[in-house]
Amino acid sequence: MSAPSAPVPAVPGVPGVAGNAAIQLIALVVMLAAWEVAVRALDVSPGKLPPPSAVFATMWSGRVALAGAVGTTLYEALLGLAAGIVFGVLSGISFSRFRLLERMLLPYFVASQAVPIIAFGAIIVMWFGNGVASKAVIATYLSFFPVAVNTLTGIRRVNPEEVGLLRTFGAGTMEILWKLQLPTALPSIFTAVRLAVGLAMVGAIVGEWFGASQGLGVVLLTAMFDNHVEQLWAGILLTGVTGTALFAAVVLLQRKFVWWHADG
Amino acid sequence: MTPKIRLQNISKRFAVGSNVVPAVENVNLSLNSGDFVTLVGPSGCGKSTLFNILVGLLAPDSGGELHIDGKLVAADHLLGRVAFMPQRDMLMPWRTVLDNAILAAEIDGVPRAAARKRALDSLDRFGLRGFENHHPAQLSGGMRQRVALMRTFMFDRDVMLLDEPFGALDALTRAMMQRWLLEVWEGAKRTVLFITHDIDEAIFLGDRVLVMSARPGHIKMELPVPLPRPRAPDIITSAPFVELKRTLLAAVEDESRKAFAAMNREILPDPADA
Repeated sequence: MSAPSAPVPAVPGVPGVAGNAAIQLIALVVMLAAWEVAVRALDVSPGKLPPPSAVFATMWSGRVALAGAVGTTLYEALLGLAAGIVFGVLSGISFSRFRLLERMLLPYFVASQAVPIIAFGAIIVMWFGNGVASKAVIATYLSFFPVAVNTLTGIRRVNPEEVGLLRTFGAGTMEILWKLQLPTALPSIFTAVRLAVGLAMVGAIVGEWFGASQGLGVVLLTAMFDNHVEQLWAGILLTGVTGTALFAAVVLLQRKFVWWHADG
Repeated sequence: MTPKIRLQNISKRFAVGSNVVPAVENVNLSLNSGDFVTLVGPSGCGKSTLFNILVGLLAPDSGGELHIDGKLVAADHLLGRVAFMPQRDMLMPWRTVLDNAILAAEIDGVPRAAARKRALDSLDRFGLRGFENHHPAQLSGGMRQRVALMRTFMFDRDVMLLDEPFGALDALTRAMMQRWLLEVWEGAKRTVLFITHDIDEAIFLGDRVLVMSARPGHIKMELPVPLPRPRAPDIITSAPFVELKRTLLAAVEDESRKAFAAMNREILPDPADA
């Protein structure tokens, strides 16, 4: 299947994805350089804000442990995200099919999101242990909600006339779901997944704060207690890079699977 | 000859707020095998309601009867038995031309590979050769309608219902599509009911023209079109054509005036006319 070139809106002066990446990389280098120069020129105490060179030096010397931490947190977040997407899509489909279920459960879904995860993170760690499971559960809890809501609204946006047309072809409920409703909802599901990626990262890190031996959350917490500012900044940067990489992966998947939708 | 489909005293009323609005009333209509029947009527005359009943999406009020091949059937019996082409092409943007064309056949249970092969073989007939791997967003309006028609033809049913398929096309494209549709129809004898607003189109295409009345819609007039086939484009300036047109215009004008007057009195949209 060849992706068509026609529906992609061209922005004047922006030379495509590769060009964007180059421009963004330049901006990053400029920002890091400005940070370095400013810290040195203004003689900021390293305890307040270390220069990026010191942060990178810390990162390099602790690279094995930090890579392990990134791997652990990424694994927890991905596990939670996957479960959150599956649970979210299934709930969205069920709500779209059974109005009664939606009226019964959706208000509780909404209410569940109003309780800050901090309030019962400890309980989840007590239930699911100190390992990966409790973090994945928290990540799932945070990420399923937008997916459920967007699956529901995406399916609701399907034109009833299109459903009617498929029924005249003899299509049953499942065929209508697979061939029409889910593909139509896919762009809005992806929009939710973009949001859920960040939430899953937050879930994994917060989960680690309630008890863990490894992960970016542990790196951040230990650095804070040890007053190790370079390590703290290393943790912050790595968290940002990991989250951004996850987000970029979702955007790539979206481009591949919902290319027909203009703002994908 | 037993008609392919016969509607007898078909009525449908809708509840709109606290009112009950009749959309169609006592519709009697027969389609014989191989017929090309066209139907004209004023806006909001209940055509969509009639169509939705004919494809099995809407059950008529009790008292009417639906017959297929002489047998009395329930309303939902028609689901999956009539090849329907709606006004909008409703192509799926994520499917290629080829995969849009086989959608109905695929749902009908034809294996995808076999359906694709059959579709590839009939691309020429639908003027879509070379576009099989394009997506709908890359096609012109006329081509999209041809894909939708191909989807309807590939859904192998004896009866086809076409709801203003060329309504959104410009006059030149429309004239070409009409001639092309007649060629395709003559090659694959199907029973066709074709809805249109355009009286020239109704006469040019049809063996019979049905005129629907203003709401509540019923068949007000049935006019045979004794013009020989195949019909040349210039037939629309011939004396018999003009005579038929005069008769139909008078009938349709009359109903349009009633529909317009009714519209000014109260605005009651046909719930099935989206």
